[in-house]
Amino acid sequence: MAEMAIEVSHLVKRYKKHTAVDKISLNVNKGEIFGLIGPDGAGKSTVMKAVAGILKFDEGIIRVFDVNIDSERNAEKIKSRLGFMPQGLGLNLYPELSVEENINFFAHLRSVPKDRLSKWKRQLLDMTRLTPFRTRRMKNLSGGMKQKLGLVCTLIHEPELLILDEPTTGVDPVSRRDFWEILMHLLREKNVTALISTAYLDEAIRFNHLVLMFQGKMLAQGEPDEILKMVHGSSLELVATPHSIATDILSQVFQTEATGNRIRLFVEGKGFEEAKHTIEKILRENRIEIKDIYAREPELEDVFIALLKKEHPDSDSSPHPSFTHSPSIAPSFAHPPSVAIEAKKITKYFGKFCAVDNASFSVQKGKIFGLLGPNGAGKTTLIKMLCGIIPPTGGNATVAGVDIHHIKDVKERIGYMSQIFSLYLDLTVKENIKLYAGIYGLDKKETRMRLDWIIDMAGLEGHEEDLAGQLPMGIRQRLALGCALVHKPEVLFLDEPTSAVDPVGRRTFWDILLHLSRKERVTILVTTHYMMDAEHCDHLALMYAGKIIADGSPEKLKADVTIKAGTLLEISTNRLLFSLEVLEDTGFKGPALYGNKIHLLTHTPDEDIERIKSLFSEKKIEVKSISKYPLSMEDVFVYDITALEQEESYAV
Amino acid sequence: MKLFVNRLQVMTVKELVQLTRDIILIIATIYLFTFDIYVAGSETGLSLNNAALRIYDGDHSALSRELISRFRQPYFRFDGEILNNKEAIPLLDKGKAMVILDIPLNFQKDLVSGRQADVQMLVDSSNSILGFLASSYGGQIVADFSQEIAMRNMGLKQMPVIKDECRVWYNPNQKMEWFMPLSELLTVITLLAMMLPAAAMVREKERGTIEQLLVSPLSPFQIMFPKILAMTFVILIGTVVSVFLVLEPFFHFPIRGSFILFLIITALYVFTSSGIGIFISIIAKNLSQVVMLTILIMLPILFLSGSTTPPEAMPGWLRVAVNFSPLYYYIEASYSIFLKGVGLNVLWFKILSMTAIGLGVFGIGMWRFRKQFG
Repeated sequence: MAEMAIEVSHLVKRYKKHTAVDKISLNVNKGEIFGLIGPDGAGKSTVMKAVAGILKFDEGIIRVFDVNIDSERNAEKIKSRLGFMPQGLGLNLYPELSVEENINFFAHLRSVPKDRLSKWKRQLLDMTRLTPFRTRRMKNLSGGMKQKLGLVCTLIHEPELLILDEPTTGVDPVSRRDFWEILMHLLREKNVTALISTAYLDEAIRFNHLVLMFQGKMLAQGEPDEILKMVHGSSLELVATPHSIATDILSQVFQTEATGNRIRLFVEGKGFEEAKHTIEKILRENRIEIKDIYAREPELEDVFIALLKKEHPDSDSSPHPSFTHSPSIAPSFAHPPSVAIEAKKITKYFGKFCAVDNASFSVQKGKIFGLLGPNGAGKTTLIKMLCGIIPPTGGNATVAGVDIHHIKDVKERIGYMSQIFSLYLDLTVKENIKLYAGIYGLDKKETRMRLDWIIDMAGLEGHEEDLAGQLPMGIRQRLALGCALVHKPEVLFLDEPTSAVDPVGRRTFWDILLHLSRKERVTILVTTHYMMDAEHCDHLALMYAGKIIADGSPEKLKADVTIKAGTLLEISTNRLLFSLEVLEDTGFKGPALYGNKIHLLTHTPDEDIERIKSLFSEKKIEVKSISKYPLSMEDVFVYDITALEQEESYAV
Repeated sequence: MKLFVNRLQVMTVKELVQLTRDIILIIATIYLFTFDIYVAGSETGLSLNNAALRIYDGDHSALSRELISRFRQPYFRFDGEILNNKEAIPLLDKGKAMVILDIPLNFQKDLVSGRQADVQMLVDSSNSILGFLASSYGGQIVADFSQEIAMRNMGLKQMPVIKDECRVWYNPNQKMEWFMPLSELLTVITLLAMMLPAAAMVREKERGTIEQLLVSPLSPFQIMFPKILAMTFVILIGTVVSVFLVLEPFFHFPIRGSFILFLIITALYVFTSSGIGIFISIIAKNLSQVVMLTILIMLPILFLSGSTTPPEAMPGWLRVAVNFSPLYYYIEASYSIFLKGVGLNVLWFKILSMTAIGLGVFGIGMWRFRKQFG
């Protein structure tokens, strides 16, 4: 049996009356990547801090490397053997210091010997591709680079145990992928143990072992595959017309998520055929035509939500079902133009830096338009120009038929929600809504109507007198959305609205957005780097370094990549990293780790499947599975951006 | 127009509600308007009180004892004799004595036989004001005493000396507790007038709510102005509380002029000083920077106000600068109203100057604010 790195039993931590962690037990073997997964407020950070010995806890036992962490003195004993990276992008770093100065500071703090430091530092910098940026100040790095530097600083004293608190939150998919790859290499090479938390359920497959947490309690524990099998049921995807009615009906019976023109379903307790049969029956009764229905791989998100509903039947604070029958918020303008947003070569310079470069696109009324791109691509600047917060340097745009230079008219027609849900946390729910009603000049009657509508829409009943700061993130997000909608705007701008919200909240949120766009004909422009969000959009624009590099519906973007780069193969083997090396050495282009599988794009999928099979049998690698796999938006994003990055590096 | 007023109203109410939710800010504000003023009035730091007096009496005569007995409380406190001259300096060094009176041998004999006698006074003047007071009070006591001895020796009933009849106006007992607490109140008003609107604005920046306001049809003026309105309101209430619950009952502070006029001037002053607060809110990124900047700006303003140093005593260029300090005019006008009981007919020019300077600052502040957020 493998030796234990961490043993936690019945850990309890209370903050005043609130129990943050309630009897959590877990064991982490040496050399393992152990994941803590759950939304904000699940108690992940509390567990990590307790294990790192920087937080006192109320009950339970924690042993790290066989040292009982029951006193500060004992905690000190193991601190030199572990590296802890707190939550927040580069929060442990010094913004005014350069990359190298930051690393040296942490090395000196841990008194790393000079000769070891220079060698290890060079290795780490190379691996993270930060070498060209040694002298750049930390504050001028991109989000992904900050996170990598944070990792380097945590690793500089070669700890045996890594504790990383949400290392990938707020990092774009390309950097996220990089981050995981670096981590995996390091962990294998140095045989360190890692305890990592994340709010992204799609990262779960990267762990050897994981714990699903919710509100301080453990929902499930085990290997990813085990957890996937915990809830018996089947996942389906279907296309039906009319789409919105089908969604409404199915969502009352099953776990559903509408994306674009598809509906994803999880049917508990039934096999695929049985589930398919039930769905077909329900839809037929409602005279809805099914165009396509097929099984899809079950995802952890389905399991998480199913487990959640079992354990906390009342936890789902989703909007009231009657919401769909509430008064319409059809715009008050008689003849709205059919194009809601039109940008023509809009450009913004900050000094010499070009934040947005000749961006042109148009959004049809009532559609959901997604703006995708890594941190610093210019998404927020673009939104701010369209909202009239900052004037463009060049080009022009119209929003709801109004030239953006007529700032006042634009502002009355738009709603805006920023990534941090700009609410007044010290005001109550009602006060927040009434404030914005007053700002937009609603009279008493309108205010009362909108107040009722927002409370209904956002599922805020019972929270009216609560301070906004006391609400859970999901509800806070919907309140912010309500405040942005108080004056019935024609166009709604959402700047990374889902970054801090758990899967249940995120689904609810998208249900509301779909309803707004389909039924109320509100045009929605949303920025995100959360790939699941992208699947919901009618139309997507990919931004990179201020430019729009691809533009189209999700299906079209996927099809474009297929034409350019080929079909996606998903490969699962028993020796993942070695397989990756073999593929790279044999000349396959751009194989990438994707969870515990390898993704590979190829124009000749059928031939390559055979080639890889024989290649692996030669190298004595056991192939668990190899098959064609539908492209996800993340694949598209990563493909387009790495292609551009490569072009650029060739140009230099 | 109705919409304009309505927007100002919701925004102002919002500021007030937010203020009531901020317990720390409430406590700090209450403290500044009550206890802080009370403490300022109770401390009499700048007058001579119970100065520690040690005596080296080399004569031990009736006259030497009589001189010693003239050094009385409340100004001096007799802390005992020292037996050796050499003890004196260490006592001064350690701060255990402030004044040492050295009476030499033959003090009485010299005086009785009509010769001149000397005494020596050593004064710790590391605090220049107190040292100055101790030496002049001590000198006065010795001079009075020597005049008496001279008259007694010469058998005179009267001497040809000038007796001055000093009439002290406005504050007849020259009470520091009439001067200090009002000065403190005006300082507190200045501090809050700059800090509260700046803090309210920067809090919106920190939490990102400013963006939400900027995408709404509110103009920059409609965003900033309600904060100033709300904070002016709070400061006026604090001022009333301070005058009627602290100054009047505890220090019997006189209100000879029109209190309403004082309030109007205060409102005007707070309003215009908030222009500096707008400046701070443009530069500062977070609350701690607001506090730092406020202190940085407060210090020269206090110095130029003339409350600690009279402008007449400043070097030339500073004396000119005082003319541009709104606090200078505000302090002058306030003392005049409370202690002198004068009205607009006397003060109009000062009030006008104060308003003009304040409006200038406010205007520039607002203009910069529009530039940043417009």
